[in-house]
Amino acid sequence: MELLWQNGHVVMQSQNQRPFRKPPPQPNTNGGDGVIPDREIRSSEPQNYATNQHLFMQEDEMASWLHYPIHEDPPSPFDHHDFCADIFYPPPNATASQNNSAAAAKSSVRTEELRPPPNRPPIPPPRRPPNRIHNFAHFSKHGNASSSSKAAPPTVVDSCDTPAAAAERAEAVPRASAAAGLPAAASGGREMATCDVTVTSSPGGSSGSAEPDQREPVADRKRKGREAEESEFQSEFMLYAASVFLSPPLVSLQKDVDFESPEAKKQVRSTSTKRSRAAEVHNLSERRRRDRINEKMKALQELIPRCNKSDKASMLDEAIEYLKSLQLQVQMMSMGCGMLPMMFPGIQQYIPPMAMGVGMGMGMDMGMGMNRPVMAFPNMLASSTLPAASAAAHLGPRFPMPPFHMPHVPVPDSSRMQPANQSDNNMLNSLGTLDPDQSCIPNITDPYQQYLGLQQAQLQLMQAMNQPNDSKPSTSRGQENQEKHQSELTIQMVRIADSSTPHIMGIVSFSGI
Amino acid sequence: MSSQRSRQHSGSTRISDDQIIELVSKLRQLVPEIRNRRSDKVSASKVLQETCNYIRSLHREVSDLSERLAQLLTTIDADSAEAGIIRSLLNQ
Repeated sequence: MELLWQNGHVVMQSQNQRPFRKPPPQPNTNGGDGVIPDREIRSSEPQNYATNQHLFMQEDEMASWLHYPIHEDPPSPFDHHDFCADIFYPPPNATASQNNSAAAAKSSVRTEELRPPPNRPPIPPPRRPPNRIHNFAHFSKHGNASSSSKAAPPTVVDSCDTPAAAAERAEAVPRASAAAGLPAAASGGREMATCDVTVTSSPGGSSGSAEPDQREPVADRKRKGREAEESEFQSEFMLYAASVFLSPPLVSLQKDVDFESPEAKKQVRSTSTKRSRAAEVHNLSERRRRDRINEKMKALQELIPRCNKSDKASMLDEAIEYLKSLQLQVQMMSMGCGMLPMMFPGIQQYIPPMAMGVGMGMGMDMGMGMNRPVMAFPNMLASSTLPAASAAAHLGPRFPMPPFHMPHVPVPDSSRMQPANQSDNNMLNSLGTLDPDQSCIPNITDPYQQYLGLQQAQLQLMQAMNQPNDSKPSTSRGQENQEKHQSELTIQMVRIADSSTPHIMGIVSFSGI
Repeated sequence: MSSQRSRQHSGSTRISDDQIIELVSKLRQLVPEIRNRRSDKVSASKVLQETCNYIRSLHREVSDLSERLAQLLTTIDADSAEAGIIRSLLNQ
């Protein structure tokens, strides 16, 4: 927003290139007020004053010019130090039409000023109108001259609270109230009422009523468009501007308690308002974030089968366990898919138990190792092939590459196991020898120990049965033994997997085929 | 869950926050996408979202694998060990 100096009058140049001229009736040195530092007043080259008729002035524009004295290119003969004076007093060369337009603009602006408050936070708006009215009343005497209707400043608008427009605004207030039906909210009307009160008290001129009426609707409409853009800060600026022109002792009207406060007070008010608003915003965003999280937790709960937990923490616990078991299941199934086709060719003669052993091993590995199925697999394979050492030897290298980088482990183990196959007694020794090898494998933790226990149990079973096919899996041969083994193994596996989730238990239970 | 929340909103929030943080970190380790992102500031909602997606993808994978295993089952001897394995896998 820029303040342009045209023909000795301050013309507000909005971003949209809508200058607004406000002839200030009241002499006032407001240049020192730095409350609104972000506005810059710049005098523009002299323009046809008539152009002002089509221009809007926004509140911030007005605010800006209030604080910055116009020293550049002052065509007007007025003293620039007396900023207000220059603004308020129409330049000698100003035409009556210009004055009228200014007046009309002011009045329309005034009207709009009254209207925006409803859209703004309650603090500033209530204060504005009364102040403005006071200003207007104060300046009404000056405004009389310019009250003549102007040809067109329909665009004038924005609620610049220039005192210049006081008179016309005051005049326009009653008319604005009539026209306020359009855009203004009820509060606007309320404010208008207050303005009316002051207006009546003001000696303001009554001329030019027609034009302000015409302009007010237009201004109101345009005002409405801009109101959305106006910020509370703007309203505060306007208030501040008004206070600049008004003498501090001005009585605050009904809601305008702080209006005559100095800059500091306005700053404090705006700061506290901003802080409270920031807190509100923070709370809102925090609430939104929590809502998002809760919604996602509900979705997660739906995905988890048999989840009847109402507590967030336990629900998340179950989600974690379920996720682990799901991962395990997928691993097992993919491994089964990958291995089974490979198992068929040529292995059946001596491998079915081994295959089952492998499957069992995998199952157990899955049950124990979760994400580390490779660990115990070689042990399983080795132990299961003990009764058939050669088979183990054959199986090792022929064992298909499972998806979990197992193969490299079984080979050395099976070779190692071969000499131990001679006697069952050596099994334990081999197991013992395997331990250090296994321990070299990373990720060997409790699951491995569990697996080892299971292996020993299997070995015991196998030793007891002393059958060539006494591996765990079910086959048509030696079913009784196998069943016994299976049950034993099942028990072992159950014990091992007791810490697993129910899902894993389900996986383990298949050993009891 | 909602009733507990409504009963003592702030209390449950206080208690749950730490637990949620811990559990969310666990989930982060499990879900490969988040684990590989190497970011310490993954929001809880993001983790939950990724977990849901991961679970759904795992479900899909399980169904795919089940389908394959079923096909395999038909190609092998029903009494074989492998069939047993497959059946067990499918019955999970």
